[in-house]
Amino acid sequence: MDLGESIQELLHELQPFAVIGNNTGKTSLILTNYMVFLIIAIALTIVFFVVASRKLTLVPKGVGNIAEWGVEFVRNNIVLDVMGSEGMVYLPFIVTVFFAVLFNNFLGLIPGLKPGTGTLGTTFAWGIMVFVVYNWVGVKKHGLVPYLKSFLPSGTPWWLVWLIYPLEVISHFLRPFTLGVRLYANMYAGHIVLGIFGIFVVMSLAALGPVTAVVGTLSLVMQIIMYAFEVFVAFIQAYVFAILTTVYLNGALHTH
Amino acid sequence: MEAIIPYTSELLVSLVSFGVLFIALWKFALPPIMKMLDERAEKIKDSLEKAEETRVEAERLLDEYKEQLAEARQESNRVIEQGRKIAETMKDEIVAKANEERESMLARAREEIQGEKRTAMAELQAQVADLSVAVANRLIGTTLSANDHKSLIEKFVAEVGSLDAE
Repeated sequence: MDLGESIQELLHELQPFAVIGNNTGKTSLILTNYMVFLIIAIALTIVFFVVASRKLTLVPKGVGNIAEWGVEFVRNNIVLDVMGSEGMVYLPFIVTVFFAVLFNNFLGLIPGLKPGTGTLGTTFAWGIMVFVVYNWVGVKKHGLVPYLKSFLPSGTPWWLVWLIYPLEVISHFLRPFTLGVRLYANMYAGHIVLGIFGIFVVMSLAALGPVTAVVGTLSLVMQIIMYAFEVFVAFIQAYVFAILTTVYLNGALHTH
Repeated sequence: MEAIIPYTSELLVSLVSFGVLFIALWKFALPPIMKMLDERAEKIKDSLEKAEETRVEAERLLDEYKEQLAEARQESNRVIEQGRKIAETMKDEIVAKANEERESMLARAREEIQGEKRTAMAELQAQVADLSVAVANRLIGTTLSANDHKSLIEKFVAEVGSLDAE
């Protein structure tokens, strides 16, 4: 098998496929491989937090301490930082966003498994969900018409409204896409990079010689470095997704 | 482009999964965690406050003890000083009294000596007179008239008496 074929196969392997059901099209009733990993990651998240919340001690220790640390991180570094104490109402939602993304990203880092966030189906759905939630919060706070009016930045000259307002509306509607594509692309690209270095290592071993020994060793080193980097990306993307959700919520509450 | 379009079933499964996770965290996991975080924050705040209170109290006690110690030192100095003064006065008194006593003893002794001396003199004079008469009798072998005796004695006594005058 040459390099081109291997990469083709890698890309093909990263596509969703039906584990249960018959894949007859985008709207067919199937359970894809990514959904299996997603459900595993979500189940693990639930088990982790429910177990941790039953094992809390005043002097922090063990699994309870890790869960507390995570919640405290979201509370202090995301919710309180962006929204202040009024954001505490949304803490459960933002905690869920953060840990749903984080656990899925991390699960994909276990060799052989894939992240539930590695398919657009998941990331786009969650992007739309965030879009619906923050707009609903804005409408509830200000009323539909004042909220829609607030899309226009204050101080816009009247003769520019025809241009600015549609742009602002479009930028809002782009948010679920940017949220979804950013997370998906990061996970997808990370797996391609790891996969390609993996292919290099395997191909070098298959045709062992002086040159391939060097290439294979370097590829293995690169794969280890990239793996560490992907752990970092997995965390950063969860943080970015959660903080953008918070920023959008804050923007909906405090219209300009 | 076709590959980019998500599967409808993926959208649904991920939304439902998110919903389940949200309810699990919101209803079951987060309340105890938030409660614990608040409790701990409260506990730490209390502990810090209590520590501060204890520190202030300790400082107050230290000041109090220092003050008491200073007072005690002052008091002891005062007592020692007083003691010294009393001792000095007593010493002076004792010395003065001793001097006085010595003086009076000396004076009495002097007086007694004078008295004894006078008595001794008188006795001596009497004996000398008798002795003189006896000696004269023996030497002269004759008896002088009473008048001779008398004048002789008086003359002699006057001589002896002049010794006493010294």
